[in-house]
Parts: sequence; C-alpha cells; structure tokens
Amino acid sequence: MISKTLYVTNKLGVHARPAGLIVDITGQAKSDVTIIHDNQKANAKSILNVMMLAIPPGSHVEFEIDGEDEEEVMKLLERLFHENFHEESN
Amino acid sequence: MKTSTKNQTNSKKRPRLVLVGLPASPGYAMGHCHTISNREVTVVEETLPNERLAQEEQLFLKALHNTIKEIAQIKQITVDRLGIDEGRIFDAHLMILKDPTLVNGILDQIKKEKKNVQWAVHTQITALISSFESHKSALMRDRAMDLKDLYHRLMGALDDSGPVIMEDEISKGAVLISHELTPSILISLKKGQVLAFATDSGGRTSHVSILARSMEIPAVSGLRNISAMVESEDTIIVDGTGGMVIINPNEDDIRKFEEKLEVFNRQQRELFTMRQLEPMTRDGKYITLHSNIELVIEADKVLDYGSTGVGLYRSEFLFFRKGLPTFEEQVAAYKYILESLAPHSVTIRTLDAGGDKLIPDISAANESNPFMGWRSIRVCLEHEDLFEMQLKALLVANTKGNLRILLPMISSMQELRRSKEHIEKCRKELESEGVFCHDVELGVMIEVPAAVMLVDKLAKEVDFFSIGTNDLIQFTLAVDRTNELISSMFQPHHPAVLNMIHKTVMAAHREGISVAVCGEMSADPMSSLLLVGLGVDELSMTPWSIMECKKIIRSINFEDVRETAQNVLKMDDTESVNAYLKKKYSQTITDLGVSCFISTPESNED
Repeated sequence: MISKTLYVTNKLGVHARPAGLIVDITGQAKSDVTIIHDNQKANAKSILNVMMLAIPPGSHVEFEIDGEDEEEVMKLLERLFHENFHEESN
Repeated sequence: MKTSTKNQTNSKKRPRLVLVGLPASPGYAMGHCHTISNREVTVVEETLPNERLAQEEQLFLKALHNTIKEIAQIKQITVDRLGIDEGRIFDAHLMILKDPTLVNGILDQIKKEKKNVQWAVHTQITALISSFESHKSALMRDRAMDLKDLYHRLMGALDDSGPVIMEDEISKGAVLISHELTPSILISLKKGQVLAFATDSGGRTSHVSILARSMEIPAVSGLRNISAMVESEDTIIVDGTGGMVIINPNEDDIRKFEEKLEVFNRQQRELFTMRQLEPMTRDGKYITLHSNIELVIEADKVLDYGSTGVGLYRSEFLFFRKGLPTFEEQVAAYKYILESLAPHSVTIRTLDAGGDKLIPDISAANESNPFMGWRSIRVCLEHEDLFEMQLKALLVANTKGNLRILLPMISSMQELRRSKEHIEKCRKELESEGVFCHDVELGVMIEVPAAVMLVDKLAKEVDFFSIGTNDLIQFTLAVDRTNELISSMFQPHHPAVLNMIHKTVMAAHREGISVAVCGEMSADPMSSLLLVGLGVDELSMTPWSIMECKKIIRSINFEDVRETAQNVLKMDDTESVNAYLKKKYSQTITDLGVSCFISTPESNED
C-alpha cells in the first residue's frame, strides 16, 4: 500500500466536476483507493462519497492506494491535482 | 395554421392573463394548456419472502440499466447539438448511477433487509438528498437537484411507465406547460403533436430552447410560475418570437395573434418557395450553394434550407470531447451525413485541430503561435494512426459514393502527396479485407499563401479547391484575427487577398477543376457578388444564409458582376474596393432587403 498527501489548489475545491475527474481515475483502478480528509475516510471510487467530503480549496487530501496498479493510479491523481483539475487556480 | 379551438367552448370564464418571459424559439401558436408535473410517488415499505429477493434485485438492475441508457442518450443529443461542455452535467448523473455506495446500498437493502425495490431506492436516495441539502457548501446543496432528478427517473423506470410522458396522454393541439422541460420530454414527442412550449424556468433551458428551435416549435421560457397558474384546457397564445404568452385571450388578442401568425407563415412560405428555386444568375450562370456544418445532426436541415449539399463538414467537432472518437463512432457519424444527403455531394474536411481549436488529447499545449503551429494536416501526418483511422472511417462510410475529402492547411506538394499515399494505403487495406470503396474526389484547402503560389501545380493533382478565407486573409495580411488591436486590419477585400483568390480560380479553371469558398466571406452579400464575379463556382456557408444568398444571385447578371470584379482587381487599396462595391451593389442589396456584415462601408459617403 502507498499513501500520499496532495493539495487542492483550484479556486472552488473538490466540487462535483473535480470529484468526477477523480472518480474517472479511481473507478478504473484495479487497486482499492481511499480518500482521507479531515480525519474522514471514504471510498474514492464513489463520486457521492468524494463529493460529501466537500473538500474546500487549500486543503490537504490523503490518498491510500492498495493494489497492483497503485503507483500508476497515484501518478494520475497527482497530475490531476497539479493541474488544478483543469480549472483556475486559487 | 397552428391553432386549435378544441375544448375552448366548455371552459368557464377564466381571467385573461399576460405573462412575459424569454423568447426561446420563434413562431406563434394558440392551443389548450397541457401541464406536466413530476408525478408524486407513494412508496410502501414491504418485507419480502426470500424467494422474491432475486426478482426484486433484477427489477432494480433493469431500472438502473434503463435509466443509464436514457441519460446516455440524452447526453449524446445534448453533446451533438450543444457541445461537450453542456453534456458534462450528464456525466455526473451517469457517475452517480454507477456509484458503488449508492448501488450497493440499494442492493444490500434488498438482499439483506429483504425490502422491496421501491422502498430501497426511496430510502437510500432520499437519505443522500437530505445530507446534500443540509450541506454547508452551496455547491453541494445544488447537487441535491441532480439526485432528485435521478430519483424521479429511477422511480419512473421501476414503474415501467418511464419518466417520459406517454404520447397518447397529450391530445393534439396542446401547448405544453411545465416547470422545466427536460430534453427527455422533448425528444419523446412526436412531430406535430405539440403546438408550443411555455415553461417557468429560464435557467438551464438553453438546451431546451435549441431543441425547440430545431423542432420548429415556438417556445417561451422564464415565465416564473405559469405551471401553477394555468389550468388544463385554458386557452393560451404563445408568442415565441416576442417572448410572451396570453392565457385566456380576448377577441382582440386572438385577432392580433392571427395577423402575426399570417405574417410569420408568409415568411415561412417565402423561404419554402426560395428553396425550390435554382441559384442561377439572370443570364443563366449556375452557382453551387452548399452548407457548412459542424454537427452531425445539422445534416437534417441542409436540404430544407435550400442548399444542394455540404461544402464543409468540420470533422474536428467530433473530436472535441474527452477521449478520441473510436473508428465505429466516426463511421456512424460520417455515414449519417453522407447517407442522409445522398446523392448530393458532401465535402468532409479531415481533422483540422490546433490553432484556436484545441483538442485535449491531441493538441500541444502552450504553443506561442498556435495558428502557425502544430495543427491541422501537420498533426495528421505525424499521428499517422489517427489520420488513417479517420481516412478509413471516411472510405467505409462512403456507401453512396457522394463523399469528397478535403485536406486542410496544405502548404506543400509533399503534404498533399503524403496524404494521397495514406488514402491509397487505406483503400488497399480495406479492399483486401473485402470492403468495397467508391472513388472519392480529393481537394485541398487554399488557405496558406504558399498554396496560392503553388496553385498551378496543386491544380494538376487534385479534384477541387476550397478557399478558406479566414486563414487566407490572416496569413496573407499577417493579421492575427484573434488580436483586437489589429482587428481593423483584417480586411477580406484587401487587393492582396482578392488577387490570391483570382489566381486560385484561374489556375483551377485551366485544369478544369472547381473552386469553392467556405469562409465567412461567402455569406456576406457584397463579398459573395465579388466572389461570383471572380469566377468562384461554389459558395459554402451556414445553412440559414443560403436563402438570402440565393435571392441575391437570382437578381444579378453574371456578366455585370464579372466586369465589376475585373475592375476591382485593378484597384490597389481596400478603401477604393469597398467604395466601388458599395456604389455598385448597395442599392441592389437594400432593394432585396438583405444585410451585409463585412463591407458595410462606414459613413464615408462618396
């Protein structure tokens, strides 16, 4: 299992669209992916769970990934966060 | 024409009411109100015996499957008509329907708690709705709307009556009134079933209004609470042109309505008459008028507007989405256009990505000069797999033999020859697999000055030319058309540009091939006269400009416009050209009642 903390740098935080983009990645992953914010753990393959975390801009988010493609999935997530979910940055 | 007096007599005297909203789709109609509301669902909790559970689970999976299919279909229609961004909202819906938390939650409640499927769906989704509604973030609270929408759809699918209205529920001559019209309601209507739409909401209705327009049904949106105010069988006048409705109109209203309707119908008839006439000058020169289209669905309208084919289908519009289109998707799209227009010719331009049309999966990010960068045919010749997939899809889709392939941004013979090799290779591969390929005419866009300088040589190796005026002007005059500082220097009638066009036409006619102009210039009345005078054989423009252009062409003598064009070619500055064109043509154009947008020479009367 690997884990990493990522930063939310877009202006609006993880609302529906970014949550969708995250699930685009995690949904296809063979590994289990957990998203942790504010001590709340959620299944990162569920768009509803990810949205319910309502992660505000400027937050830290931790991902725990466990499975054969864990490295690859983490890389994709990192890139997504680095690119501000293709939105305006904060 | 579009009136119904049915059921008017038996309605009690109800107050006259005028409501003003937004004009969503033009036209006039009078009919009786038919209100659609979201049905209230009553859900009963049941505990089921074990042997029923498997069946209940199947019911849920089937309803889920149908709802996903329905949303995917609506999404596709929305994307086709409005573009990728508008379709995104449905991605979220689809993702929620596939969400393991939701789906497993419902399945668990059926399998473990032995509940009936309606109850399981009801409790799971309403719990989610209330947690979203109580959320501190407004963005999240808005998502509750999506869940409610899905709730109704799933419940509708479980009920098997479906979430869309039943066609026989609506009697002929009805005006549909609702809080908000969903695309699913619209697409489930049969042609001629409904006279008009009037809705409370003016928000997210842009897609609805485009759908209404394409169905040629008048609509007014943003009427706030009309759905609560009308009663079924109230009579209503809908003025989709002005954005107004009158409920229970008086005699005066009805008389005015009939007058307006008559004028509107007369205009429609004029359009229809014009549709039948040939685009021929008074002295018998035939000018081909074709349409430029961007969406597959627009193919349906091309002939209605009176053009005789597609002069430019911008295939890159298939690629503006997440993930590239598959081979099958491309074949389906091209086939739809080609087959719905056969035997008329259809010119499909190969992928013209880049410049101001970035495609996420292909385009290079951050080019400092994207218009002169890695775009168009340059991308295709490098991404050979991508290019060949498109070429094969085109060849396979050409079942009627009416396809013309157009290569964009050609600036060297080598680009043309390499493209031809790819086409030949694709044809051979397909034929070796037993696929019959019709012959295809091949043309190049003349939009880079280098192509104009090589135009004699190009003319020997292709079947037609299509001049892309926007890029040709931009490159010839070195004027970036997106730069506002120099926007006044973007001059379609600059002598340099006109001489480029002239040179192209001369070279083409020497080799006996035709020349089309597919830029914005061809739809401007003065420019179109100039282009015809320069010898251009075909003008291609947005479908709704065709009628006006036809009117102009039918009013002139080819010999006159040819002479005017010859005189223009002798001039050495744009101002003189515009002044001369104005003197020659402005009276004709005013008399015809059409509007110019390119050369409307500023107030400098001379």
